[in-house]
Amino acid sequence: MKQLLAAAACAVVLLTVRVAAHHSFAAEYDANQPVTVSGTVTKIDWTNPHIHFYIDVKDVSGTLTAWKFEGYPPNMLVRQGWKRDVTLKPGDVVTVYGWKAREDQALGAAREITFADGHKMTAGPPAGTGGR
Amino acid sequence: MTDVVKTRAATAALLIALVLAVASAQKSASKIPRMADGKPDLTGVWITGALQLLIGEDEARKIQQADAAAARTLPPPEPAPYNAEGERQRQYFLSRRGIDDPMARCFISGVPRITTRPLPFQIIQMKDQVLILYEAHHAFRIIPTDGRKHPDDLEPSFLGDSVGHWEGDTLVVDVIGFNTKTWLAGVGTIHSEKLHVVERYTRDSVDTVRYDVTMEDPEFFTKPWHEHEIFRLRPHERLREYECIENNEDLLRFEKLLQTDPTLRK
Repeated sequence: MKQLLAAAACAVVLLTVRVAAHHSFAAEYDANQPVTVSGTVTKIDWTNPHIHFYIDVKDVSGTLTAWKFEGYPPNMLVRQGWKRDVTLKPGDVVTVYGWKAREDQALGAAREITFADGHKMTAGPPAGTGGR
Repeated sequence: MTDVVKTRAATAALLIALVLAVASAQKSASKIPRMADGKPDLTGVWITGALQLLIGEDEARKIQQADAAAARTLPPPEPAPYNAEGERQRQYFLSRRGIDDPMARCFISGVPRITTRPLPFQIIQMKDQVLILYEAHHAFRIIPTDGRKHPDDLEPSFLGDSVGHWEGDTLVVDVIGFNTKTWLAGVGTIHSEKLHVVERYTRDSVDTVRYDVTMEDPEFFTKPWHEHEIFRLRPHERLREYECIENNEDLLRFEKLLQTDPTLRK
């Protein structure tokens, strides 16, 4: 039974490490620190190997923090229905769900964006892809 | 219904299912496109690997459901058969959470990892060679199928040198001549220059290719390592450009992590 469990564990590890888009999720981001922030989009870098987008987030005291999020590369986003300069634009008010970076305080890996009209778009991979 | 009748009914049902399955498989195999010489034609744009990353969870789920309906399955993944030194190195890279991954540094992935990247690739089959164009890194492979052997002046390279031949309806590709700057399947899956990869491409239906890979590495493996995938035909898909180095901020962040994260300072 122990051998079986060990084999199963290895299989899970192998499966997990193979689901990598560009780099190991855990290299930079912490799956134990999910984050949800709302704010106004200020800029989008539509680049490889990741897009990045920036949103100004105001806390309860009115302090503004410029958050930066990483997402899938353009080629994956367009195949999931995104359009450059249309889906996400400066000025859009959005809520971003993702995970915080290990190092930078206002950097995150975006998983899903909720737009002002309530519709949601996948923005990046689930936590844990690409290794532990 | 008596037990005897029940057993007979169950046996009959099983036989009918078997006959239907065989008929379905034969029909499927006979329908695949073929070249003028009768070989299966692998030409087309294909996707494989972590489909959900490329086409989203909903589309990927539909494919999984179609697999289940067609009873299309793959053998369970095998753990990497590293020897003590191979495992020591793999654990080191895992302990560094993958920051050393050649892929994260925008190096071309080797074989078979280039295939399982969640980006499409296009196979162009000709009479005496097969070309594979990968969206990832603008990579390409030219696979002669005219009976020639590997050149004797190989320099170690990321994608190695490929030669192919047909075994029945399966294209068998032999790949050697690798450098050690790629990983095989994920974090820490290192290999030596002695890596020998054999890929088997079998068009088992109009919409799919079965991809079976055997990796051997006498320096790091205790036995051959097998990997299996299903390619999905994407008739309306086209290859796009993926220039990884365009804005790879990850490298700078890795350097920062190495300076500030105590778990990475080794």
